Amino acid sequence: MLLRQFSLSALLVLLIFVIQESVISQFRLPGGGFSLLLIFSLTWASLSTPTVGALIGFIAGLMMDLSQSADGPLGQWTLILIIAGYVLAFLAYGDDSVRGNPISIVILVSLAVGASLALYLISGLLLGLKIGSISGVAVTLIGNSLWTLAITPLLLPAISYVHNFIFDSKARL
Amino acid sequence: MRYGGDGRPRLLLIILIVTSLFLITLDLRGVKVMDGIRSATQGVISPFQRVGNSAASPFRNFFSDITHLGRTRNEIAALKEDNARLRANLLNRTSADAQLEDLKSVLDLAGTAQYKVVAARVISQGASTSFTQSVTIDAGSSSGIKKNMTVICGEGLVGVVKNVFASSALVMLATDPSFKVGVRLAGSEQIGILSGQGSQQAQLQLLDNQTQVKVGDILLSRGSIHNRPFVPGVPVGIVSAVDNGAGSIAQTASVTLYPSYSNLGVVSVVVSASEINPRDALVPRAPIATPIPTVTIFVTPTPSPSN
Repeated sequence: MLLRQFSLSALLVLLIFVIQESVISQFRLPGGGFSLLLIFSLTWASLSTPTVGALIGFIAGLMMDLSQSADGPLGQWTLILIIAGYVLAFLAYGDDSVRGNPISIVILVSLAVGASLALYLISGLLLGLKIGSISGVAVTLIGNSLWTLAITPLLLPAISYVHNFIFDSKARL
Repeated sequence: MRYGGDGRPRLLLIILIVTSLFLITLDLRGVKVMDGIRSATQGVISPFQRVGNSAASPFRNFFSDITHLGRTRNEIAALKEDNARLRANLLNRTSADAQLEDLKSVLDLAGTAQYKVVAARVISQGASTSFTQSVTIDAGSSSGIKKNMTVICGEGLVGVVKNVFASSALVMLATDPSFKVGVRLAGSEQIGILSGQGSQQAQLQLLDNQTQVKVGDILLSRGSIHNRPFVPGVPVGIVSAVDNGAGSIAQTASVTLYPSYSNLGVVSVVVSASEINPRDALVPRAPIATPIPTVTIFVTPTPSPSN
């Protein structure tokens, strides 16, 4: 049951990864742009149980690590997104005031994107990666969060529709 | 609804975290399998990137085009449709023209220095989620590209090949925070190290404290042993500000890099360079002022009428 939901979610993540790599990364958007994969996986996690949240974080993180432009060691994004997915699902799931309110999901996801990037940055520093000037880093962090804030409301209805479709079909079967 | 009592989610979380730590350790220890997985993924992704690139190229300047679309809104439907078609054609044409122009200028530069180059299109602009500055090009090991080769464009140094896949390669741009290149000032032979700063500005550190560096000095790459990672003589940038902080051990300066990294279209990878160092031959020429035609009037003196 969990396996079925998980494999469907994983397929979706794979699809989003291909879109991210082949379309989104073609554009150099102002303020660093956004990551569709981050937005999707974290929104998905915020709609799911902590188990699914952690699993989806694992798959999405693995994809981001496999992207040719990932600079850290394989597994760095995986680690961060497992934690981010779990925490986000833990905060949102079961709390009806969050789950029933699209605005709080959008804000939660945007904060989570900013936090994941900051965590990636800090863990990268621990592993000895170069990060460049403080202003450049700040622009990327803030730019990414703002882009997420703008994009997530547009994607949320679609993501939540697909999520309901996958996770409710289980109940019908 | 929340289930956490049976401890299963927590066990799963621990397993997943341990797996990722395992992956990090393997990769940091330089296990070859990890590199293999990444290149395999890139091999699968690069055909999609090519398709995405050709589909996205008319829309690349999306933000500037929005204003153009606003202007055509008042026109009648038929004209609008016609206009859109023509505009799409024009955009395609413009992007082809720009690529041709890029290619021409890079061939000029490569020709002057007798570099042997492989031309490549930029098919991906790097990720927004990492703090590195890189692009992916559509030529790889099958075109003779190897790791640590210099990448140039018409204006000068673009970066260096960081990773090579079968039919694509990852280029670290000169703006990358971990990018470093040995440079010398054109004219004087003073040498220094240029480091990327994540923007169009880079930081130059001169090795000799006594050197006089001034705004407007041009930097050329100094070249490496066997021309890898850098071939000598490639224009890198121009000094935009000099920091003469008292008490600093070495002189530093801000440098504006030549290429415009946000809209790279066609670049060239230097596969092999000639044995002769081009020295200062590649310093970009100052624009030649167009001569203003002067009019000369010849007047033959006529003898004043005598009376």
